[in-house]
Amino acid sequence: MENMANKVARIPNLVDWSTGEVRLMGAKCNSCGTYFFPKEHYQHRPDCSREGVEDVLFPKKGKLASYTIQYYPCPAPFKTENKITPYGIGLVEFENEKIQITGIITETDLKTLKIGMEMETTILEMFTNEEKQQVVTWAFKAVK
Amino acid sequence: MRDVYIIGTGIHPWMGFSEKVFADFAAVAVDNALKDAQIEWKKIQAIMAGIFIYGGNAGHLSGQYLESIFGETGIPVVNVYNACATGSASIRMAYNSIAAGETDTALAFGADVSPKGFLTAKSDNAVQDRDVIRWKMGGLPNPIYWALECRKRMEKYGTTEEDLAMVKVLMSEYGSKNPDARFKKQYTLEEVLKSVYVCDPLRLYEICPVSTGAAAVIVTADPELISKADNPVKINATTMGSAIYGDPTIRISALSCPAVPEAPMLSESYSASRQAYEKSGIGPEDVDILELPDNSSWHYLVYLETCGFCKEGEADKMLRDGMTKIGGKLPVNPSGGFSSHGEALSAQALWQVIECANQLRGRCGARQVEGAKVAMAQTYGLMGNSGTTIMSI
Repeated sequence: MENMANKVARIPNLVDWSTGEVRLMGAKCNSCGTYFFPKEHYQHRPDCSREGVEDVLFPKKGKLASYTIQYYPCPAPFKTENKITPYGIGLVEFENEKIQITGIITETDLKTLKIGMEMETTILEMFTNEEKQQVVTWAFKAVK
Repeated sequence: MRDVYIIGTGIHPWMGFSEKVFADFAAVAVDNALKDAQIEWKKIQAIMAGIFIYGGNAGHLSGQYLESIFGETGIPVVNVYNACATGSASIRMAYNSIAAGETDTALAFGADVSPKGFLTAKSDNAVQDRDVIRWKMGGLPNPIYWALECRKRMEKYGTTEEDLAMVKVLMSEYGSKNPDARFKKQYTLEEVLKSVYVCDPLRLYEICPVSTGAAAVIVTADPELISKADNPVKINATTMGSAIYGDPTIRISALSCPAVPEAPMLSESYSASRQAYEKSGIGPEDVDILELPDNSSWHYLVYLETCGFCKEGEADKMLRDGMTKIGGKLPVNPSGGFSSHGEALSAQALWQVIECANQLRGRCGARQVEGAKVAMAQTYGLMGNSGTTIMSI
């Protein structure tokens, strides 16, 4: 796993590395069975009692359900110290959770992207903050 | 419920970012609508105004700003926002007010001033506002959402880059014949295919930019006004839809979507169009002209399917066979579409209705669809907003 010392997510409660693996944080409704990412993005079934929503960590690995290659820089408030364009963006499917989640694709030759390929959750270093911490976002990369 | 007719329409032509005060060009649209309807301002008994979100007080209370220009008369002024389907909400409220007998004549209006540069987050509260995370951490401008869906479509149905480019070729041909379009240059297939990728597989000419514009529609059930109007257009139904649980579409501003579909794609538009078919008794097979929201070439194709003009995966064939051309079985976007106009959020749904009305009234010159009797305007707004208006003459 990446060296995660002195790293901080730009917005909390989205990506976790406390278990030793980088994983996305979401929620599951135990009444209607729906998973949410982010956890505040509720998507209950219309007949759901909405009882028993609990925090979950998504599996580290999933499958690429779709992707695009972005050629112009994402406007502010997005920012990175280093130029990252062109960058891949994927929709990664977590089969058991029946959800697809977006994320920037790192460390992968964009020409090799293919729907169905196995991807794993990682982080992308965005910039250094005033406390000299590396501010990161979640990302995906191809499983090698 | 009473029959409701469109008797006057007006627009201010679409343009890029403007330093003009919104009320100045909004007033042009309303003036044009009043002239077309041959009525005085005092005949308007309600204003249903689409708001624009980057305008502060002026944007959020656009109806009041407008009323003060033409003269305040104490009538109900309602300001409404449903993202890019805002204009659908305004005409639906005007229609309902009249059909229910609350008023006889109402104005549906929308004006939008695009921000200079890119659309981006409008708050800084990541817990409350679903839009913040995608801008701060997701790296997800709007066209990426369309590209992700477009890639899935290409994989599933074999849509080609030529199909995507052909949409722009057609839209630019019609836009070049529309004096009110913002983009009038005509493109060849080769030129479109040579334009740079914005987000692969979508190219620069295959997505629409943001624009500034204003549109106004006067609707009435007043027999006197209808009888003196020039070719009044009957509104058969005007509806709004929202999303359905299990819709697999990755919605703009969301960071996730269901992996196992339990509802149609773009279910907000499925909902709006099916309500309209049921209320009007008019089905897709009866529609002579369709204005759909071609935010990208992907939208052009998928909307034919969402709204039931063909089965899933068959829109590419409709395009390739020329069925969607002027002169084909179902002329689509004879206006030149969003591709030739750009999005002026709160005005665009009304502009689509106006194009349909103008076509039915035989006013469209070089892009006129001959003999059209029934037209349908279909919108699409982010986070589960959509509206459908079916009209006839």
